[in-house]
Amino acid sequence: MKILVCIKQVPDMESRFRPNGDKTWYDESDLAFRMNEYDEYAVEQAVQLKEQLGGEPEITVLSIGPERTVEAIKKALAMGGDRAVHIRDDRYYQKDPWQIASMIASYAKGESFDLIFTGMQSQDRGSAQVGVIVAELLGLSCATTLVGFSYDGGTVTVKRELEGGIKGVAKLKLPALVTCQLGLNTPRYPTLPNIMKAKKKEIAALTPAELSGEAELTATAAIYPPAKKGGGLVLEGEIGAQVDRLMGILKEKTAVLR
Amino acid sequence: MFLDLTEEQKLIQETARNFARSELEPLAAKLDREGDRPAFLANLKKLAELGFMGLNVQGEYGGSEAGVVAFSVAMTEIARACASTAVTVSVNNMVCEVIQTIGSQEQKEKYIPLICSGAYAAGSFALTETGAGSDPAGMTTTAVLDGDSWVLNGSKIFITSAPYAGVFVVWAVTDREAPKGKGISCFLVEQGTPGLVIGKQEEKTGQHASATNELVFDNCRIPKDALMGKLNDGFRIAVAELGGGRIGIGSLALGVGLAAMDYATRYSTERVQFGQKISSFQAIQWKIADSYTELEAARLLLMSAAFRKESGRPFAKEASMAKLFATEAANRACYNAVQMLGGYGYTADFPVERYARDVRITSIYEGTSEIQRVIIAREILKNFS
Amino acid sequence: MKALLIGEYRQGKLLDTTYELKAFADRLGADSVMLLVGSDAELPKCDSKVYLADAAKYGEYNPDLHKQLVLQAVEKENPDCIVFVHSSYGWDLAPRVAVALKAGQVSEIVALNEGAYEVNACNAKLRRTVTPKSGRCVLTIQAGAFSPTGEPQGAPQLERLDLSGTASAIEFVGYEAAEQKGVDLSKAEIIVSAGRGVGKKDNVPVIAALASALGGELGASRPVVDAGWVDHSHQVGTTGQTVSPKLYVACGISGAIQHLAGMKKADFIVAINKDKDAPIGEIADVLVVADVMQFVPAFTAKCAR
Repeated sequence: MKILVCIKQVPDMESRFRPNGDKTWYDESDLAFRMNEYDEYAVEQAVQLKEQLGGEPEITVLSIGPERTVEAIKKALAMGGDRAVHIRDDRYYQKDPWQIASMIASYAKGESFDLIFTGMQSQDRGSAQVGVIVAELLGLSCATTLVGFSYDGGTVTVKRELEGGIKGVAKLKLPALVTCQLGLNTPRYPTLPNIMKAKKKEIAALTPAELSGEAELTATAAIYPPAKKGGGLVLEGEIGAQVDRLMGILKEKTAVLR
Repeated sequence: MFLDLTEEQKLIQETARNFARSELEPLAAKLDREGDRPAFLANLKKLAELGFMGLNVQGEYGGSEAGVVAFSVAMTEIARACASTAVTVSVNNMVCEVIQTIGSQEQKEKYIPLICSGAYAAGSFALTETGAGSDPAGMTTTAVLDGDSWVLNGSKIFITSAPYAGVFVVWAVTDREAPKGKGISCFLVEQGTPGLVIGKQEEKTGQHASATNELVFDNCRIPKDALMGKLNDGFRIAVAELGGGRIGIGSLALGVGLAAMDYATRYSTERVQFGQKISSFQAIQWKIADSYTELEAARLLLMSAAFRKESGRPFAKEASMAKLFATEAANRACYNAVQMLGGYGYTADFPVERYARDVRITSIYEGTSEIQRVIIAREILKNFS
Repeated sequence: MKALLIGEYRQGKLLDTTYELKAFADRLGADSVMLLVGSDAELPKCDSKVYLADAAKYGEYNPDLHKQLVLQAVEKENPDCIVFVHSSYGWDLAPRVAVALKAGQVSEIVALNEGAYEVNACNAKLRRTVTPKSGRCVLTIQAGAFSPTGEPQGAPQLERLDLSGTASAIEFVGYEAAEQKGVDLSKAEIIVSAGRGVGKKDNVPVIAALASALGGELGASRPVVDAGWVDHSHQVGTTGQTVSPKLYVACGISGAIQHLAGMKKADFIVAINKDKDAPIGEIADVLVVADVMQFVPAFTAKCAR
């Protein structure tokens, strides 16, 4: 079995973000980067499947990004990936999900992977598109937002997280692509000996030009901080009027009361 | 000049940070106040399984071969969450390293994997005595050869991890006639050896989860081959190994200092007095500026000492400088942090009082600040004589 | 401008989020038609055209078949945009449609901005304005971002859709009910907390009733827990749990810094307090100046309605 895991390196979400010079992305200069959280679930699930199958599958890790991305790739290798492909692209953030997915699909086309794992979305862009687009471009069956995964004899059974805590169970035949959600598993910490050993694993470097020349289908016109929370509103007066006003405000301002 | 960590060092730092945040931090306050030894030991076991007990130890003995810089950054991350765990990890690494450096092949193969894998919760380093603290050569514990065994008599104090250590590295006088410091040898004593008595546990100001005990040797008989390294050469070894331990303790102090300042700084941006966030007052800003500057300087000194050791260069002076500066800077940072929280900083509702207690010992153990200055001056003056 | 709206249907029910699609189309100033894979028994209330495919035949979750149904509706209507809710149904299906049409997709739109779409980035710490570069585009809207005004009404003009085959690579097996868990406030979307201002232990159920009316969890400040009025597992603050719900209602909580540290990350904070100058007011989005025991029962009654 050949497994591909697609990962992205994203900033620590606890960071402060500010727009970059041309206001099309965030300024990366003072940020600490790590593996996208959802992609950690993807790596973990792939490694668990490899363990389940007695170590037979080969796990390839793929990531698109600048030089620094190697750190996230090495983490995936330390967690149990066998080899890696680094599509070295300093302008990755100017590419939309369609272009990113096209590059991945173009690489994967020749490799005939049986199973592809991705995160359900990236923590920075959050479009939740790339995995599904890759599946469509490669003609794979696909399910998103997995909180449960099992594999048996060429069939994957997935548990999808739906709204309100309900789960949807479905079966897919290989070849397939699944996108992973929080709750699917608990990613292992890479052990220190494995971090050191990952140094010796192959990381093949590719350039975007070798893969896909697709034009963008969406563009970021601007990026900016959201409007600040105004000062708190004080409601005084008669109880009945307060109740009505609060209800109105909650309906308007929060997504929880409808 | 390249001042950045390698990718591997960054990943080790990340593993340490993530583990510390999710496993150690939530437990730290409870360990400090009520104690929970099974939980404390369970976390040590997990850290061992991740490879944190032998960072600078060869793979054939179960070590991680990650180097001294990685050891330093890992210690800092662990200490940010729990200083008691960090000191235990630091001592375990030091015990592994001393066995690796001077142990026989059999000793290395037997003991290092037991500590690295977590089969032993800890290893212990038994040097200090009531009359031999800053002056360890003044020790009086003796080891006398009797047939096929050594017989140990005497006592040690302030022994980290004594109740749950699997093995103790013990220094004892083997030649009472030799000049001071020249007749001391080093032994490996297993937990449970008849005549090895774990004495009373100290009630310390901080680092409560890490046990610190008296150790009594009452005609404690150990095999002849429990001698480690050359006979009567033990003191030189102890002094050399303490250098590595100092990098560990300096890194630990840095972690506690950063935790305290991070907490207090965040607090200062929330706490309002006189109608303003207290972070808008210059009195608070200067504390923030001073402490972070000192902690950053400490970090660079530690990195430099670790890098020298990792490159096989002399590092005793640099390790002492780093330990001296980092522990004193961390103490000042914790003092400032308490001050920034005001009365709240003196209550157990906030973690900074714990940081302040935990950090206090760092400028005392593994060589007091005063002893570090003696070493630094001696090393410098060598070049002027 | 014409929008094809993709309605949502699950476990035999039309989902309310379907009406948010219409609200979005109205905000966009677009004419709208809808596609629903659902049933005659659960038709949306609206006056526009609705393409209905039978969920009994095409499944509630079968993205392969639903994609083909959407494409058929696209063929008939030639819409400028195809709009989904950004939900487990929408984010799963939308990119498949986008690829088939080679249309750009904008995900999880939270607002409109002069013809461009606003989306969040980096945990909503940044906002991004996105413009489609393809003639036709696929859009998904954040649930709750475009609330319908007024009650939906009307009767749709139905047109049925069918596919020639129902072969699919995905087999839907069924649903699993949500698990019942203990109190894990850290994951709660709504928390209603009781503070010393509730007065006595006997009053705590009044606060708990509001929590359950809102579909949330009960929280508490430390004095209330220390007094034994509420179990420690409900405590919010430095010595309890740190929470970040979408809505936090602080009832009779003055706002000691220990408490604030545990809940200040809430998206929206309502405080109910007699004291207009209580510190909780500094971080609350709304401070209701009232007696908790008078206001909360009245508000609960309103919510229950």
